[in-house]
Amino acid sequence: MAEEAKKLIQFKNIVKSFEDGTVVLKGVSLDIYENEFVTLLGPSGCGKTTLLRILGGFLQPTEGKVLFDGEDILSVPPYKREINTVFQKYALFPHMNVYDNIAFGLTIKKEPKDVIEQKVMRMLRLVNLEGYGKRNVTELSGGQQQRIAIARALVNEPSVLLLDEPLGALDLKLRKEMQHELKSIQQEVGITFIFVTHDQEEALTMSDKIVVINAGEIQQIGTPTEIYRRPVNEFVANFIGETNIIEGVMLDDDLVMFEDKKFPCKARGFEKNEKVDIVIRPEHLDIVPRGEGMLKGVVKSQLFKGMHYDTVVETRAGTSITVKMQVSQDKPVFNAEAGEKISASGFILDVADAASLSDAKVIALASAEAWIAETEENVSIKTVDYDIKPETGEYSVTFATAAGTSITVRALVVKENRVESTVYQEEIYAMNFFKKVEDIQESIALDTDLKMWATASAWSLEDENEQVEITDVKYDFDPETITPGVYDVTFATAGYEYKVSTTRAAEEGSEVGLVFRPEDIHVMKKGGHK
Amino acid sequence: MDEKKSRRIGGKIILALTLLFFYFPIFYIIVFSFNDSRSLTKFSGFSLRWYEKMFSDSAMTEAILYTVLIAVIATLVSTVVGTITAIGLSRSSKVLTAIVERVNDLPVMNPDIVTAISLLMFFSVLAVKKGFLTMLLAHIMFCIPYVMLSVTPKLRSLDPNLIEAALDLGATPFQALTRVIVPQIRPGIVSGALIAFTMSFDDFVISYFTTGNGVNNISILVYTMSKRVNPSINALSTIVILLITVALGIVNIVPIIREKKEKKKQ
Amino acid sequence: MKQFRSMTYPYVAWITVMIVVPMLLIVLYAFTQSGNDVLTFRFTFDNFVRFVTDKIFRAVLWRSLYIAFFTTLICVLLGYPIAYAIAHLSEHGETVMILLITMPTWVNMLVRTYAWLGILKDDGVLNAFLGLFGIGPVTMLHTSFAVILGMVYNFIPFMILQIHTSLNKMDKNLLNAAADLGANNVQSFLRVTLPLSLPGVVSGITLVFLPAVSSFFIPKLLGGGQYVLVGNVIESQFLTSGDWNFGSAISMIMAVIIMLSMYFTRKIDVSVASGGKE
Repeated sequence: MAEEAKKLIQFKNIVKSFEDGTVVLKGVSLDIYENEFVTLLGPSGCGKTTLLRILGGFLQPTEGKVLFDGEDILSVPPYKREINTVFQKYALFPHMNVYDNIAFGLTIKKEPKDVIEQKVMRMLRLVNLEGYGKRNVTELSGGQQQRIAIARALVNEPSVLLLDEPLGALDLKLRKEMQHELKSIQQEVGITFIFVTHDQEEALTMSDKIVVINAGEIQQIGTPTEIYRRPVNEFVANFIGETNIIEGVMLDDDLVMFEDKKFPCKARGFEKNEKVDIVIRPEHLDIVPRGEGMLKGVVKSQLFKGMHYDTVVETRAGTSITVKMQVSQDKPVFNAEAGEKISASGFILDVADAASLSDAKVIALASAEAWIAETEENVSIKTVDYDIKPETGEYSVTFATAAGTSITVRALVVKENRVESTVYQEEIYAMNFFKKVEDIQESIALDTDLKMWATASAWSLEDENEQVEITDVKYDFDPETITPGVYDVTFATAGYEYKVSTTRAAEEGSEVGLVFRPEDIHVMKKGGHK
Repeated sequence: MDEKKSRRIGGKIILALTLLFFYFPIFYIIVFSFNDSRSLTKFSGFSLRWYEKMFSDSAMTEAILYTVLIAVIATLVSTVVGTITAIGLSRSSKVLTAIVERVNDLPVMNPDIVTAISLLMFFSVLAVKKGFLTMLLAHIMFCIPYVMLSVTPKLRSLDPNLIEAALDLGATPFQALTRVIVPQIRPGIVSGALIAFTMSFDDFVISYFTTGNGVNNISILVYTMSKRVNPSINALSTIVILLITVALGIVNIVPIIREKKEKKKQ
Repeated sequence: MKQFRSMTYPYVAWITVMIVVPMLLIVLYAFTQSGNDVLTFRFTFDNFVRFVTDKIFRAVLWRSLYIAFFTTLICVLLGYPIAYAIAHLSEHGETVMILLITMPTWVNMLVRTYAWLGILKDDGVLNAFLGLFGIGPVTMLHTSFAVILGMVYNFIPFMILQIHTSLNKMDKNLLNAAADLGANNVQSFLRVTLPLSLPGVVSGITLVFLPAVSSFFIPKLLGGGQYVLVGNVIESQFLTSGDWNFGSAISMIMAVIIMLSMYFTRKIDVSVASGGKE
């Protein structure tokens, strides 16, 4: 390097906590150089805007130092800093026209009128809004207001321009245009831009340097390519672009094992048998015939995206459980005297649930209902007789209307039925159940109903409160033409899935293989920082 | 940051003086309602004699009764009528809405005294005997526009398709109103009713010109009796302040209590 | 949607009878000669001419405007710093302060005005307090001072609330932007805060000036029987001298002036506020 870039701004161990005790920044240190386009990237609430406001002088840090050109600037009020800001919603002065907005900073400094006019005109030209000077700022479109805000800041010739999510309020197309325009403005005026956004694509397009922030801490600093290719941890990998993260073990230098297979890779500096996270980007995976694949799986879904297909391939099924569904065709009981009909079906119940039954719950479990035969108008069920104890066994339940129409069905109390999977550290649970033919035929969302009837649920073994979604409900009957009998219903959670971005079409359900190159395997330390 | 601090202290002093200015006369009246002597300036000992005197004075007790009665009836009527009309207007032509709004503006924007004499002449021309009824009608008249002013913005902020959605789902127009629209605009209705109540409770000018036949409200009584020193007015005023404070307290505190109860349930 | 439209019919009938007809009566009486009954009226401008030419009435009108003007001026000068101080409190403090300022306005105006009687009397608390410094006793009751004080006391909350609302509505980032562009606190206030809060001041002025110019019990209670403003003239025309035609004419003049000034302030409000969005 012929000339070493100069450090313009240094954040030194910045901590910011608010009165209510929340800590937004947990010791952030960051150097920013001259003429850089730096992006602070992170989800909302991560502290990126707070950091920007501290630099702008609108907030004081709880701890730490901010050096500007080597000098501590924390005691310098915002109006004396050589830094200007483009605010989130622009903060244009609504009572002034475009010209007066841009001229504001210069009139405050009492510059001569002709100088002001010259500079404002030059700025209007820079942001492509010549001839807009007399316009009222509230009449302008979002994109135009945005440009005015940039011009108003740049006219003061700051050495740093801060931009706080400036493109957030614009629609997609305009946002893309402004991305290019901002970049070219930055190159033209040749000053440091510090840009805050939560949009990873925006960050990748414009920045010289990206600073990824999460939960008040810097996760990674690097060029867009570095951040994308070599994320240091799961957060960065997930936040920047689509990705597959797989748990693995580093067997040796350049040799990693995941999904019980060994793969060559390009990664050194890990301990032997160290547990790691593997990152493979969707576009680095390709679909091949099953026999040629390094991993084998089943295509779960494929979406056409114009240039390519977004495909999901499952290499290993999730945790599953199969239960019996007993389908009956109970005829409703007809009470000719009252002109009422009543129907109900037997049901199966878990011991644990038998202890806390209510009438309403029993009615729901048995799908008991009564109606007037002629008009089919519903009649409410007045009495529910049951003597179900929290012990396994067979019990009878009687439902009756006020007019005395009644029906008795069986209720089975059984021991719980669950399946544990150590591979995924999760457990799935479901019960055998009774159902009527009509219930199945009339269901408009059968998968959801089946899950409810079988009280199927799954959760993580590490944290019982963490529900795992049951993504698959499998059965081999046709709901339209089902007849009484016993059927298997299988519930399953999602297994290992790979997102693949490929130009190859593949049918859903087909068995395929996956391939990737050793250099496309990126290995990260567990829970890693740089 | 010293400059900021001193500014903050300056602000606090201004606000303290403001509160003193607002509340001193009110406390003054309350304190002197318990004065043993007739004096409005020297406190010569605690006594309840002015309260006794007030409650034994039928003119005063009647005035309190009339004030409360009229305020309650006027609030009920104007809240119901104002809400129904506002809902109707939200579905009517712009011309009709504009006309009704302009006419409503007349009593709201005109000085009370203009509204008052217009009603005075109106009742006299019709040869209606002025008294309780004329005063009540007048109160209902000036309360409805305030209810509508409070309800209409809430109606405007509603999704225009709400009623259509309700009808689409099988509700009758009446059910659409009572189950969908009214619950959504309830805050507007409540604040409208509150404004109506205090407007009626506090009114002097319009009541003064539209009453007769010995029917007085508290304001009229204070006005006519204040020419002579009469500490019973202090006692009466204290009662008024108490009533309004309690009413405001209920309005402001009940929602907080309800919120807390709901939180506990969860 | 016929059902909904028909919901407005009763009220339309009601306002026709209870608002429109009575207001028309004022116009009718204002333009007719006294002494006639409803059916045989003679058109005349005399009532207006009398009000404009009579020296006593001109003096009354002049005094009413003067009192209302000073009341409004004082309300702006005191109300602005108060509203500004409230807007700079913490969010919680702001709510409490607004509640504390609103509370007294819920208490009957007559009661609150009456309270000043005891305070302002020659041997009242205020004079007793001034006496501690060897001043007075100063006669305050039954002077313009007492009337203006009573009006300021009654009407300043409207001013404070209006200004506070417009200060509150202002995007706080505008001040950050001004500071960012090099303006110090005073410059930020003069160039950003003040112009943007003007709509609040304007609507505050209408809310203070209008009741002040038409008030008649404040002058009666605090100004004494001889203190006559426009409102008192109207009162006496209707309740003592019985000249409805003349009273109607004065009311009409007042109503027209007020409606016009309302209309114009609203226009100003709208034109300033249209810049206040976003």
